[in-house]
Amino acid sequence: MQSGTNQFKNNTIFGLEDKLSRMLKPVSPDPVFLDTLKTKLSHTPSIIIEKSKKGIGFLVLGLGLFTGALTLWIVGRAKKLKKITH
Amino acid sequence: MQESNREAINDENAVGLASGGDPEAFSYLYEQNVTRIYNYIFYRIGSATDAEDITSRVFYRAFGHINSYVDKGVPFSAWLYRIAHNLIANWHRDNLRRKEVPLEDHLDLPQRIDQPERMLEKNQEMNQLLKAIRRISPDRQQLILLKYLEDLSNAEIALIMGRSEGAIKSLYHRALLALREEMQEITGQSK
Repeated sequence: MQSGTNQFKNNTIFGLEDKLSRMLKPVSPDPVFLDTLKTKLSHTPSIIIEKSKKGIGFLVLGLGLFTGALTLWIVGRAKKLKKITH
Repeated sequence: MQESNREAINDENAVGLASGGDPEAFSYLYEQNVTRIYNYIFYRIGSATDAEDITSRVFYRAFGHINSYVDKGVPFSAWLYRIAHNLIANWHRDNLRRKEVPLEDHLDLPQRIDQPERMLEKNQEMNQLLKAIRRISPDRQQLILLKYLEDLSNAEIALIMGRSEGAIKSLYHRALLALREEMQEITGQSK
């Protein structure tokens, strides 16, 4: 009889609200996790890393272009010298 | 000296100071918000390990972009909840086929002193409730968790969710109806 009454109560919105406030309780995160994250957050210079990555990209691109141009120039010079000697 | 600095930080000036790189302000914001953000994530996904991972990402993202934070008069936590909400959506997308992890080990510690039969019954009831909550839409889940975990008023939830108080009232009613429907389906399946 009592379980029937409870079932009816749980099927109503009121019963559901009651259930939610009884069962949804805050949990405590692991204190070790909290301390570790706090330490990590206070030692992370995230913005600087992003900037340096961009700079390295431009440097690599510039070096690549320079090396390519130099190679073409050397090959051209070599061909020219070959023509003159023949 | 440090102690007096710490006292000067409050809810009003913490974000401004943190944007300027003040580590004490970062700590203040972290301590004020970390547990509530963790709880929100934990109840949305049901895994302590993943909740820790996503909580970390929320704070990395927030503190990494704090310079772009615009104070619109809403609590700082609203911004954190929004980041968490988006990361949870990504998590669900990436883990569509992931199995659910039972929550008994973490929830409602006083249950542990109950009689074993009663404990089992309560855990089953809790699992059914959490299963039902995770089946309703993300917005409805957020509303239910903010209301019952954080004990926030409709006005406070409206600020966090960026809606009017009236819209929250209506969403809350729809959330309860959807939840009741899911509960009925789940309890019907388990019989």
